[in-house]
Amino acid sequence: MDIQKYQRIFTQESKKYLDELDRLLLRVEKTPDRLELWEDIHGKVHSIKGMAGALSLDRVRDLSHAMEGWCKAFQNGAQEASPAAIQTLFQSADLLRLLVKRMGEIMSIEEQKWYDGAMARLRRGPGDPGPAEPDAAVSPASINRSTVEGIDYVRVRYSLIEELLGFSQELLFLENNLPPLSLEQMSTGLKTWIDEYAAMLKGLHFRLAQLRLISVADFADLFVKTVRNLARESGKKVAFNVVGGALEADITLLERLREPFLHILRNSIAHGIESPEARVKAGKPAEGEIRLEAERKGDSLLLRLKDDGRGIDESRIVRYLKEKKSLTDGEIARMPRDAFFETILNPDFSTARETTSIAGRGIGMSVVAQAIEYLGGSMTIRSEKSKGAEFILKLPVSLSVIYAVNFILGGYPLAIPTSNVLSIDKRKTLSPEDREALYDLGAALGISGGEDGPGHLLRLKPPEGSGRSSVLVAADRIIGNRQMMVTPVGDLLARPGIFAGVGILENGNLSMLLDMESLPGTW
Amino acid sequence: MEWFIFKAADEHLGIEVGNIYRVVEDPAITPVPLMPSCHMGLTYYRGEIFDVIDIVRLLKEKRATPAGRARAILLKWSGKNLALVPDGVSGLLWVGEGKDTGTVYSEGEYVVRLVTPEQIWDQLSGLSYGHPEIPEDLHPGIEKIP
Repeated sequence: MDIQKYQRIFTQESKKYLDELDRLLLRVEKTPDRLELWEDIHGKVHSIKGMAGALSLDRVRDLSHAMEGWCKAFQNGAQEASPAAIQTLFQSADLLRLLVKRMGEIMSIEEQKWYDGAMARLRRGPGDPGPAEPDAAVSPASINRSTVEGIDYVRVRYSLIEELLGFSQELLFLENNLPPLSLEQMSTGLKTWIDEYAAMLKGLHFRLAQLRLISVADFADLFVKTVRNLARESGKKVAFNVVGGALEADITLLERLREPFLHILRNSIAHGIESPEARVKAGKPAEGEIRLEAERKGDSLLLRLKDDGRGIDESRIVRYLKEKKSLTDGEIARMPRDAFFETILNPDFSTARETTSIAGRGIGMSVVAQAIEYLGGSMTIRSEKSKGAEFILKLPVSLSVIYAVNFILGGYPLAIPTSNVLSIDKRKTLSPEDREALYDLGAALGISGGEDGPGHLLRLKPPEGSGRSSVLVAADRIIGNRQMMVTPVGDLLARPGIFAGVGILENGNLSMLLDMESLPGTW
Repeated sequence: MEWFIFKAADEHLGIEVGNIYRVVEDPAITPVPLMPSCHMGLTYYRGEIFDVIDIVRLLKEKRATPAGRARAILLKWSGKNLALVPDGVSGLLWVGEGKDTGTVYSEGEYVVRLVTPEQIWDQLSGLSYGHPEIPEDLHPGIEKIP
């Protein structure tokens, strides 16, 4: 194997270990008494050291070795991992990442000082903080640690790769096994072969398309460390939590959201979340929370980014509307709340009265709005004084994979997301409560008559605010709970206003995904 | 300019060949509720979805039986997809310069009306979609199932 190939593997593998190292350090910071985490941390550092040694990358090897010493001390309980010690390891991991990227090269005096300082600190051991002088182990100011790296690779389930390989192999077999056919046999034999071939290709396409998807949780992982660093720099405590992280979306969509998200997060930490002291004084927990909630609604992906801070400074919006838009107090008071907060999206509006090191760098919320608009989405802003701010991004989903219950009604293949289905029963005599819960889906879809057969009843979660415990709809036949790719409805299918997308099943069959909340009638 | 000619009821229509993506034999069509009667459903071809239109029903509004599944002409233009199911495919016809869409062109056995996919699209867009008679009081409790 040539050296370049080795180096490429080293970079890729080390990056993976460093990402895992960051995650583990975040966990051990929250739960320092979990000593077993140090074993994992030690393992990651040791793996990097081993690979660096094989490639004679001395600086990477020595730094990893010095970090290992600390890990061992914490792992066997000889030393207690103080917050300062964990911070040192975070900074060492940053340095390690830089060195891995540069194959051990140091490019400036500043970086050399950083390296020397970090090595000196690590060699003294966790129990000896050393002289009270500026911490040379801290990264130089020129190294910007409050950014987020681009999405340059995706993690793919190994089982999916195995499936892909299996499929492509079967395709090759099919090609080799084209049967020798007489002219008479040709038409039927060839047709069967072509049908099988086409079915395999559809399966292959179905799986390959999934490689374009990443989960919202993986997307959120990009920001975890940045949130921690930004909070630390501003002397605040912030937890970053994700709800609905299993939802998957097209990587190109999420990649374009990276900068807008970072901007909103910076603003939340700089201007929204209060200091621990101020929060406690206001009756809040000392640690603030930024929450990312993901939800699929119709053919849109809803991403809510909200914090529990002090809310958007409304007095600045009022001042702007008076000075720049010449509105009166009465006109401002009559503005709908959404429109009032949308004021901050104007290019000449800036909340950054005081420019901090992490926000107010001249990039206004207008840039965020432009990015969302470019994606064909929209953004709604909500805020409540002392309760926090919320940014709701509604984005079109070009492609996603979901599980849905597929069924036939009146000859039409239809689907409802599995997450909305509570249970499925054989059709039976209905209780009075069930009669009340029954929704005539056939009538709503203009379907007259159905197939003969036993039939089924799907018990669904009721739409929000309906006040009902469940809704029942009838199906002639259940196809099953199937994974399907969902593509947006085209111009014509959008007209009835009740389809959330077109579902493509693994066998290439189609099914219309219903947007239950858009169905007519009173729920 | 070369035109793709197909038969729809009692006339021949021509579409410029650059708009023709494929002619597919017997495609699988998935029916969709709440669409106009000329909308036969959807077909999935090589990773793309096409609305399948019974061109005779679109042009003539009524006919006794819907089109069979013999052939579908897949059109792709300006980011739009459409599949037309005609009564038959006649072939290609070279029409000299100066003949534009809307022209009724006669040569030999053919009397051909030249159309664009956009004109067909406009006609489709003008139709009524959704349930025409949705009961206003449709709600849980209206029972249809014994």
